[in-house]
Amino acid sequence: MAARSTYDEAQVIEQLRDPITARTAFGKVIEHYSSTLYWQIRRLVFNHDDANDVLQNTFIKAWTSIDHFRGDARLSTWLYKIAINESITFINKQKALNHVSIDDDDSFLVNQLASDEYFDGDDAQLKLQRAIATLPEKQRIVFNLRYYDEMKYEDMSEVLGTSVGALKASYHHALKKIESFFQDND
Amino acid sequence: MKQEESEILKGLGKDPGFKVPENYFEEFNKRMLDSLPEKEIKTQVIEKPSMWVRVRPYVYAAASFAGIWCMITVFNQVNGTNDNKIGEIASKMQTEDNAEEFMMNGGATEYDIMTYQDSVMMDAEDQDTKLNSVTK
Repeated sequence: MAARSTYDEAQVIEQLRDPITARTAFGKVIEHYSSTLYWQIRRLVFNHDDANDVLQNTFIKAWTSIDHFRGDARLSTWLYKIAINESITFINKQKALNHVSIDDDDSFLVNQLASDEYFDGDDAQLKLQRAIATLPEKQRIVFNLRYYDEMKYEDMSEVLGTSVGALKASYHHALKKIESFFQDND
Repeated sequence: MKQEESEILKGLGKDPGFKVPENYFEEFNKRMLDSLPEKEIKTQVIEKPSMWVRVRPYVYAAASFAGIWCMITVFNQVNGTNDNKIGEIASKMQTEDNAEEFMMNGGATEYDIMTYQDSVMMDAEDQDTKLNSVTK
């Protein structure tokens, strides 16, 4: 937490632009965002080891393409975008490996969750994760960002490149589907 | 936010039940920083321009001027200038006895003669008496 209190984003962005200070500055970025990004990724891929791999890929991609970060968007928005894209890429690869159609939902990811040593949720929490896994990809991302991260729709709009109205509709549909899942699986 | 949530979600809370190994983030941060690939620091090498590159603008400018000078020279040689024509007419009128023959043989057009006359009128002291006899 001490590192977070000294984190000055404007200063870090300035240091990232200088090749001599970039590496140290990126260390601050990792410290500041690793936890937030991890939980975002984890809620999409469910498994800890997978989330760990995707988080590494996210930071490596951010580091190798830091020259393309123009600074007109917030660093957090840029990192969220990379993390979500890396998560989707990972899920699609897993679908291919498990012979799951790209159009099917991501329920197959949650099958091992009950036996995962890094999941200690009760039946209701497991059921909610199963319900979330049945959502279409975009609705799942919107639901997670809104429900767990309590992200504002305006910020979500920047990350996902979707209008606020469409995001609200997605969240509403996601809620209805989750309710329906609970009613059907009582 | 509260208005958006369903009754089912209200009873579940925001904890998804996920856990991470002990000291995971501290270790991840260190490991991640160590595993970042080295970035190539781009150094800009400023090369000294060659002699040709340095003198090229001057060579082009000189060639342009030379070309224009050649064009003017050739043009003057082919057509002659109005001043040269007047000089030629004056010379013929003064030195040749048969000035009329010069005119008749097409040595000068009527316009050339008129131009010549105008120049003569402007300089009365040098007016040649032969000119009067020819124009009459």
